[in-house]
Amino acid sequence: MMSVPFFLLAGGLWAVSAGRRSLALVLWALGVAVMLGLFRLHATDALNIAL
Amino acid sequence: MTSAIAMRLNALGLLAVSAVLLFAFVDQLVYGDLPCPLCILQRAGLAAAGFGLALNLRFGPRPSHYAIMILGAGAGGAIATRQILLHIVPGTGSYGNAFLGLHFYTWSLVVAALIVVGGAVMLLFERQFSESARPERLAGLALISFVVFTLLVLGNGVSTLLECGGGLCPDNPTDYLLLR
Repeated sequence: MMSVPFFLLAGGLWAVSAGRRSLALVLWALGVAVMLGLFRLHATDALNIAL
Repeated sequence: MTSAIAMRLNALGLLAVSAVLLFAFVDQLVYGDLPCPLCILQRAGLAAAGFGLALNLRFGPRPSHYAIMILGAGAGGAIATRQILLHIVPGTGSYGNAFLGLHFYTWSLVVAALIVVGGAVMLLFERQFSESARPERLAGLALISFVVFTLLVLGNGVSTLLECGGGLCPDNPTDYLLLR
């Protein structure tokens, strides 16, 4: 699952090279959304700091 | 700044982003420094930032492409900040190797900040957007940087698949899950 953002972005780069800008933008947005979702799943440890 | 100069700077910027991804890859493959989940996500953030540069190279410079670059760097920088905060108290350890005295996640935040500043500086030069400089196809330095960047993004995808399989990565990976 952690590899999904890379493959979405790679698909987006293919769309860029093919001249399909709208598809590229959609794939980029999906890649970033998945990346941020995975970040939420992994950012579970409490921070050892006093702010 | 003319559109042609902006395009050349974008190609060099994409090569610089690729160099950072390549450096992390070399550290992983040569020194066996397996990336942790947050490290992997920082690489993805860098790839998302480079995507904006790739769009500029293919479709000509646009403010929205620089916005994509800045948003990608912002996401990667936020993840790097989180990892720095995990280790910010002395004695709470660190993850991975250090380079020039800083750990990779700290360098990741530095690079993200540089990308944000670079994008903002490029947005100052509006003449590049007024010229219709949509290239017919990628060529020369733009093509080289685009291909190198794409290969590194794909390579990171394959490497992450080998390391973590189809699920989430372990917090402290010691080997490649699919190569056991």
